[in-house]
Amino acid sequence: MAEKSVLVLDDEPIVGDRLKPVLEREGFEVEIFTESERALERLKERSFHVLVTDMKMKGPSGMDLLRFIKEKAPSTQVIVITGYATIETSHEAQALGAFQFIAKPFKMKELAKLVSKAARGG
Amino acid sequence: MSDPPVANRRTSHSPPLQRELEGAQRAILSRPSIPIRHRLIFSLLLCFILCGLFGLVALTRIRQVRGQLDLLEALEMLYSRSLRVQLLERQEGSSVEALRDARARVEEAEALLAADAGQRRSPREAEAYSKLLSRLADYRSLLGRLESAVDVQERGREMAAAQALEAEIAFRGRDLVHRERSSVARLLRSSEMLFGTMLAVLLGFFLLITFFFTRALMDPMRRFQAYTRRIAQGDFSLIRPARAYRDEFSELALAVNQMLAEFQTNQEKLIQAGKLTAMGTITSGIAHELNNPLNNVAITTEALMEDFKALSDEEKWRLLQDIYFETERAGEIVKSLLDFTRDERPDLVPVDILEVIEATRRIAQNEMVLNDVRFELRAPPGLPLVRGAANQLRQVFLNLFLNAVQAMPGGGPLTVEVMAEKGLGRLCVEVRDEGIGIPPEHMPHAFDPFFTTKEPGKGTGLGLSICYSIIQKHGGTIEVTSERGKGTTFHVCLPLANGEKTGAEGPRLDRGPAEA
Ligand SMILES: Nc1ncnc2c1ncn2[C@@H]1O[C@H](COP(=O)(O)OP(=O)(O)OP(=O)(O)O)[C@@H](O)[C@H]1O
Ligand SMILES: [Mg+2]
Repeated sequence: MAEKSVLVLDDEPIVGDRLKPVLEREGFEVEIFTESERALERLKERSFHVLVTDMKMKGPSGMDLLRFIKEKAPSTQVIVITGYATIETSHEAQALGAFQFIAKPFKMKELAKLVSKAARGG
Repeated sequence: MSDPPVANRRTSHSPPLQRELEGAQRAILSRPSIPIRHRLIFSLLLCFILCGLFGLVALTRIRQVRGQLDLLEALEMLYSRSLRVQLLERQEGSSVEALRDARARVEEAEALLAADAGQRRSPREAEAYSKLLSRLADYRSLLGRLESAVDVQERGREMAAAQALEAEIAFRGRDLVHRERSSVARLLRSSEMLFGTMLAVLLGFFLLITFFFTRALMDPMRRFQAYTRRIAQGDFSLIRPARAYRDEFSELALAVNQMLAEFQTNQEKLIQAGKLTAMGTITSGIAHELNNPLNNVAITTEALMEDFKALSDEEKWRLLQDIYFETERAGEIVKSLLDFTRDERPDLVPVDILEVIEATRRIAQNEMVLNDVRFELRAPPGLPLVRGAANQLRQVFLNLFLNAVQAMPGGGPLTVEVMAEKGLGRLCVEVRDEGIGIPPEHMPHAFDPFFTTKEPGKGTGLGLSICYSIIQKHGGTIEVTSERGKGTTFHVCLPLANGEKTGAEGPRLDRGPAEA
């Protein structure tokens, strides 16, 4: 079975740093980004099984990425991390087809579980 | 922050305001009261008395003239009648009745003359009158004798004497008629003068009354017009006595002051509410910003705990360092939030404007970063302190920064330039954005409460009106210039902490070029 791929985008470098070894241990191929512009470029180049993205960022937001991916590669499951979830944004993300919402601060174990679930479902 | 007891709420002005209100009301009430009503009644009464007096004078004048005319008539009658008696006598066998009739008329004339004789005459005139009177008396007795004379000879003698007397009476009478005529003419002429002067006096009096009443009514009216204009512009300072006495308008001033005090309390509440709104706007940003270091600490701790045995000492050290710095970062955010919302006393004290701007920038930082707004501060070294309340000034700049961020949806530069104008005793801050700009038709309303072009739920329209009242309370100015599509600049000027005002005028406010 081929490795499932995950793109993790958060403008906090520590998040990617900590998540990378955890997800790799779960058997994923992991790419880490801290700038959404770069991540978007990467998404144009190849598709991932799962996208884990922060919501509010400088440049394109998590919502923009979600919109983009649902058009270009609808099979990609998206997990949205937010620092501050409002009802509207969660509704909007749900409507756009986000797989799951996870609020900061989160547990890496939970996130890893979610990613595995998303990868299986996708 | 506990609520005041409910019972107090409606009347609970802040104590200094209450004191100020009491002071103003006392100043208004302490003047002697001269109500307009009393002045009106007094003036009308005076007018009435004057008219009555003049009427009385005119009446006595008319009576005088009538008396003179009566006298004149009597004299003339006498004069023509003596001629008639002469005629009568010339006819032989004149009847006794005719003589009696003539005598009665003479008596009549005598009575009239006697009545008039006592009236303000010069000694010469009085003498002329008494002489005429004595001749008349002689004539009357002569006529009596003529009546009873039967003997023709005797009759002839008496007749001759009567004729001589008649001639004298006629002469004297004519003289007196002449004199009386000219006296009547004099009286009439002087009456003309008198009435003319009375008219002039009355006219003058009316003009005076009109002048004083228009002044008593128009001056306060104009003053209150100015007050309403000032109030409309958001200047809620209390009305002070403008005159040395008080009247009905003072009652109005008292009521207006009461209203202004209410306005001021409401404005304080509005400022408080506006602060919360502005904080609401940045709360999401703050939460986001605070959650990031918290999350970093959480996941780093988790990593440490999970892999504690497997990790090398070096890796453990790196993770611990991350935790340490992320905790510090969270602390900084909390501190800046506390700095920002710290409830200082609203006293005006020396304040470093750069500190205010920096604290505001920190709190709005996240909002700017997320919207790709680049913040640039230009300030020369060694800026003087301004006189202000730091927390209120932070609120002003937060509103201006948030407006600028919201005016640049695609991001852009937000430039803050600080310059001291020592000569004018003030320091000015320009907050410049390159956003959508304010269209000219919106310029006059930019500072109005509740004026907003933002969609419902996004903007309350209170931001700038609160900035305006805060800066006004500081004795400063806030103006806006804008070019559609190019950007907007807010100019905020504040008095220096130790600056002497060079202009004679007190705090003045301009609402930007759009307001004439
Ligand atoms: N920097 C700016 N650029 C362009 N327009 C502005 C700027 N600042 C203010 N305005 C205009 O002035 C209006 C009033 O601003 P104000 O800050 O009083 O209220 P608001 O921003 O709409 O609401 P709130 O401040 O409660 O969020 C705004 O709606 C906007 O149209
Ligand atoms: Mg605003």
